[in-house]
Parts: sequence; C-alpha cells; structure tokens
Amino acid sequence: MKLARVVGNVVSTINAPLFEDRTLLLCDLVDPAGAPAGGYMIAVDTVGAGPGETVLLIDEGSSARQILGLARGPVRTLVVGIVDDVTVAPGEGARGQGAPGQGAPSGAGRADGTAADGAAADPAASATSAARPASPRAAPRSGRGRRSPGRSASS
Amino acid sequence: MQLARVVGTVVATVKSPGLEGVKLLIVQPLDRQGRPSGGTVVAADAVHMAGPGELVYIVAAREAAEAMPDPFVPVDHAIVGIVDAVTTTDPVVRSPEESTA
Repeated sequence: MKLARVVGNVVSTINAPLFEDRTLLLCDLVDPAGAPAGGYMIAVDTVGAGPGETVLLIDEGSSARQILGLARGPVRTLVVGIVDDVTVAPGEGARGQGAPGQGAPSGAGRADGTAADGAAADPAASATSAARPASPRAAPRSGRGRRSPGRSASS
Repeated sequence: MQLARVVGTVVATVKSPGLEGVKLLIVQPLDRQGRPSGGTVVAADAVHMAGPGELVYIVAAREAAEAMPDPFVPVDHAIVGIVDAVTTTDPVVRSPEESTA
C-alpha cells in the first residue's frame, strides 16, 4: 500500500460502468513525513476521504476488485483508509528524506520535514511559483502541511 | 489511474485476435499539473467516445484488459473515462484543463 494525500476530485460522466456513482480522488503520493514523494494517482474512494486528508492507497487490481465486490473491472487503485498518524522508527526517518533521524517522535520529524519541504523539497511547488510570480500563494500550502503534524502530535 | 490527453489515433488492420473493433488512440500521460509526463502510449478506448484533444484518465497494466469486452486481450493501457473537471484544493497548482487551455 502507499501513503498519499488527497488533493482534489476528478469529475467524469462518460466512463466505464464500474465508475458510475463512485468518487474519484486525485491523490499525491507522500513519504512517511508527509512530504510529496513524486507522482500522483487517481483512486476510487471507498472510505469517504476528502481533500487534505492523508490516506492509504492500494494499487493492485485483484485486491481492488475484491474490495469493491466485483469479479471484473478495470480498476486498480483504491483509497482504503484514512491515516491518523505515522510513526517512523528511530533512525529510519533520515532515510529517503532530509529529516534528521534522532529518534524524534513523528510529530517533530514531520515538522522538520515540512520546513525542508517548504524550502526546496517540493519541486512542483517551487517550479510553479517560479513560473508564476505568485509566491505568497505558496504560504498557505506549507502552513497546512505544518498544521497536520501538530494535530497528530497532540493525539 | 493517470490523467492523459488524447493526441492521435492508430489504425491497424492486422491485429491480434480479440482486438477487432477496438479503437486505439495515442495518449500523452500528464502529471497532476497537466504537463506531459513521459512518452506517449497507445491506449484502447474502452469508453468508445474519446477523441483527439480530450482529457481522459487511463488505467495501465493487466487491469487495462479488464476494460475490454473480452478481458483476455493484449491491451496494457485503456481509456476508462473522459474527464469533465478536475478540482484541486492545492493553491499553487491549476487544474489540468486550465493549464493546457
């Protein structure tokens, strides 16, 4: 399974019958610290997830069809869970991202990761703000990213 | 599933059994910002209504063949929906229609 953050919806009226009355969510793949890991997926919602939430994706067709109760169907990616918290084992946080792995709890690790993310680690965000001189618009995004670790740290 | 833009059609008279009557389109996969991502691929049109210029979503791998009437056909990318709109909460990106319009 993969970790992802829901960033929007895809609306479609002409589609394969399987997708009738199902919600398609646009999901950015993220690393355990919540920073963009590169790439996105369109996933069928099965849990009622919405924009801004960190979710679990399953990206395997046979499992996806089983969850939907279908014998057949061109579906592979489902949102199968809403993530409350991610804890990375001490020392493992440094792997794959810039966060210092000092055995810090996930909340602190994420705050570090978000700070690094805001600075440079999000190529899409920096590329977009470079292309369009609307850099203040980047601020709400990093603000939102910072709020979510705070919530999970308090829980 | 990924977003993609239909950029062309493919006509093949001699095809593997099971592919008769299947419309083949050239699609350019897109990233979430609507920018081309990687090379084009040939996808089977499972909705029978997609055409050049349209924003669609495609499914890849084994599941693509599941979109066809006979699921045991050599198809590895299929168009399974035509996108009407993409709404995103991300303030720093535009939806694919906007950025490619």
